[in-house]
Amino acid sequence: MLGNPGLHDVTETIAGLAERKETPIWWWVAMGISTPIAIMLLAVVGYLIWNGIGVWGVNNPVGWGWAIVNFVWWVGIGHAGTLISAILHLLRQKWRTSINRFAEAMTLFAVMCAGLFPAIHVGRIWVIYYMFPLPNQMAMWPNWRSPLLWDMFAVGTYFTVSLLFWYTGLIPDLATLRDRAKNLTRKKIFGALSLGWRGGNRQWKHYELAYLILAGISTPLVLSVHSVVSTDFATSILPGWHTTIFPPYFVAGAIFSGFAMVITLAILARIVMPETKNYITMDHLEKMAKVIMVTGLMVGYAYSTEFFIAWYSAWEYERFAFINRAFGPFAWAYWIMITCNVLTPQIFWFKKMRQSVVVLFIASIFVNIGMWFERFVIVMTLHRDYLPSSWGYYTPTWVDIATYIGTFGLFFTLFLLFLRFVPIIAIAEVKAVLPHAQPHGHH
Amino acid sequence: MQFDRSTYRISDAGTGIRNWLLIAGVGLIASAAGAFVDPKQFFFSYLTAFAFWCTLALGGLIFVILHHLFGSTWSVVIRRMSETTMRTMPLFAVLVIPILIGIPWLYHWADPSYVAGDYALPKKAGYLNVPFFVIRTVFYFAVWVTLSILLYRASLKQDESYTRENAKYMRTLSAPAAILYAVTITLASFDWLMSLDAHWFSTIYGLWFFSGAVTAFFAYTTTNVVFLFRHNILKEDLTPEHFHDIGKLLFAFMIFWAYMALSQFLLIWYANFPKETVFYLARWSGSWRALTLSIPIIGFAVPFVILIMRITKRNLNLLAGMAWLLLGMHYVDLYWNIMPNLHTETVVVSWMDVATMLFIGALFRWYYLRLFTQHAVVPVNDPKLGASFSFVNQ
Repeated sequence: MLGNPGLHDVTETIAGLAERKETPIWWWVAMGISTPIAIMLLAVVGYLIWNGIGVWGVNNPVGWGWAIVNFVWWVGIGHAGTLISAILHLLRQKWRTSINRFAEAMTLFAVMCAGLFPAIHVGRIWVIYYMFPLPNQMAMWPNWRSPLLWDMFAVGTYFTVSLLFWYTGLIPDLATLRDRAKNLTRKKIFGALSLGWRGGNRQWKHYELAYLILAGISTPLVLSVHSVVSTDFATSILPGWHTTIFPPYFVAGAIFSGFAMVITLAILARIVMPETKNYITMDHLEKMAKVIMVTGLMVGYAYSTEFFIAWYSAWEYERFAFINRAFGPFAWAYWIMITCNVLTPQIFWFKKMRQSVVVLFIASIFVNIGMWFERFVIVMTLHRDYLPSSWGYYTPTWVDIATYIGTFGLFFTLFLLFLRFVPIIAIAEVKAVLPHAQPHGHH
Repeated sequence: MQFDRSTYRISDAGTGIRNWLLIAGVGLIASAAGAFVDPKQFFFSYLTAFAFWCTLALGGLIFVILHHLFGSTWSVVIRRMSETTMRTMPLFAVLVIPILIGIPWLYHWADPSYVAGDYALPKKAGYLNVPFFVIRTVFYFAVWVTLSILLYRASLKQDESYTRENAKYMRTLSAPAAILYAVTITLASFDWLMSLDAHWFSTIYGLWFFSGAVTAFFAYTTTNVVFLFRHNILKEDLTPEHFHDIGKLLFAFMIFWAYMALSQFLLIWYANFPKETVFYLARWSGSWRALTLSIPIIGFAVPFVILIMRITKRNLNLLAGMAWLLLGMHYVDLYWNIMPNLHTETVVVSWMDVATMLFIGALFRWYYLRLFTQHAVVPVNDPKLGASFSFVNQ
């Protein structure tokens, strides 16, 4: 924390952001861009459902296209929020308190964008309720051996727990907003939302315990969700997809891209709301840069292990899949991935780079591009199968592109609403890590 | 054993430590006899024992590296113990020699006539050949021994006087050390264990090996705390708060290990691809099946239920019980990976398994205790030592 704020200053600054009467111009401008894009998403999805998935670029041999790439990409981004809120909480990393609230919000919105893709990719969305194990007269049940079904349960659980975790953390702050409310409507709304929070000793005791338990429940979810996502590919017998390192490799990649997104959003928040600079400090950005560097090395480790074992397997199809990745028709995508994910984060070995907002911002964008391409490269393994006569190339259609762009509209619309109406930093938690809150004074 | 709490040093270490050498001597004689009776069995038993004890040192090395990188406070009290575990590495650099001698008995890819008649092995001969294997193993130990000596020496220097440069040096060294460590431990697991069946491959194998090493290291550290208590060392300083944290990490890494093992199994089982399933099928025949089942049950499910409880982690005796169980299961896990390559039909327990464990284990223990009793048992000048002693879980 910079500027040595007092306990009251923290409340004033952060709650003030959510309470201001005049909505700032930048917010209207940003909302003015995001909302139409979100509405476009709705239109494109309607068009897709009306016509069927033939409007996408998928065909033989590439039967999976941007939809799965976007799904994995958005779910991955969500992971940083859970890692920050749950694992860093268990590891007693107190610096997380400044960024956990909006990282968790990012998780929720990213998972919403992600969940859209598996839902709309099924041919007949009107019977999607068959994904649920509903008793019916035809005695038809979902196939429990399908990783896509695991996905639904993994992502569903993940979203539910993340929402509960986020909301539990919000309760004391919502009560603060209630207590500060200047008119009856606000008082009523925040009164209802804060679920009768009084801030009593016993309430805090229960609250802390509930928070700890939720952190414990969320921690395995950080690993399980992306592990399950990785099984979408790895349970197949396709060379380049079926490899045992996929679960931990996907988890590392997810954390990698998620932290990059947190950096992007944090820097934007610092620019449009300079008040937050004392809370989201350079120190936070630097720590996240280190996480990016480490997880970047982890995905680099996974890429090299895959490549080495493809050679070591002495199996021509496995070897071909990887050589084709690096030097085939989609080599451009492969090298974008390597440049963005493995080479770019190496600049963070230098402290100067970790402390430059411009460098951080550009690098975080690079990482997100790189991680999108990582999934793209994996999916594009399909373009050359065992039979050279059926080899092909994949090109997205305008519907693919519009759907992807549309999810950004949805994401930013939700995120802007969050920035406007909710305390974007955990007021109660930040207060607990201030120097005045330490009874013995060292810190 | 006398402990001086003002200097944190042990005086009059006693003859107890030397007894370990005696046990090692007995183990050595028995192992040597085994090498003449049945060299193949001997080398397989030796490799298992070597992998078991060497992974403790490897776990210590990464713990010290991570301790410096994270700058954590609570773990300062167990830093010297971890450093001593890590510093046993030169011993393993010597103990690896019999494995290099045993290559013809251990690894079928080292047999030129076998390779010539095989469909796949000639294609990997560029990697799996005797000279390159030896060079690689020498390289791994060059890296590990250098790192552990440099980190240990810097830590002892801190005992004389604390300087910022020295603390920074350990931290700075730890970053590239972590990368070197990741590369070497992965390739070592491929070379020493995975290539026992040179046809089989699994990309997660290095991570599996690593996760087992760290779990075993935390279990070993727990037993070391028990040892300290028995000799009234640090008895006032190490509290349930510290056990609690060691226990949490033991628990976490045990889950991490299970996650690796499950990822490997689930994907291979699901894809049902003959090239890969051969690994599990070999371990599903005869009495191997019981051993296979014991790993997830006794190695994971039982300790999971017990370790998740707060009371286990804060009670040293309970925690130590779990630590011994996990150490035992770490051996079973390695045995289960190595031995089916020798006894393909069914489990055959050999007296050489015991002899080699005694030899390497007792030598390791002797080396560890001798080193540990020579220096202060905690890094006395670490500025965070006081905070580490008074640390409380929140």
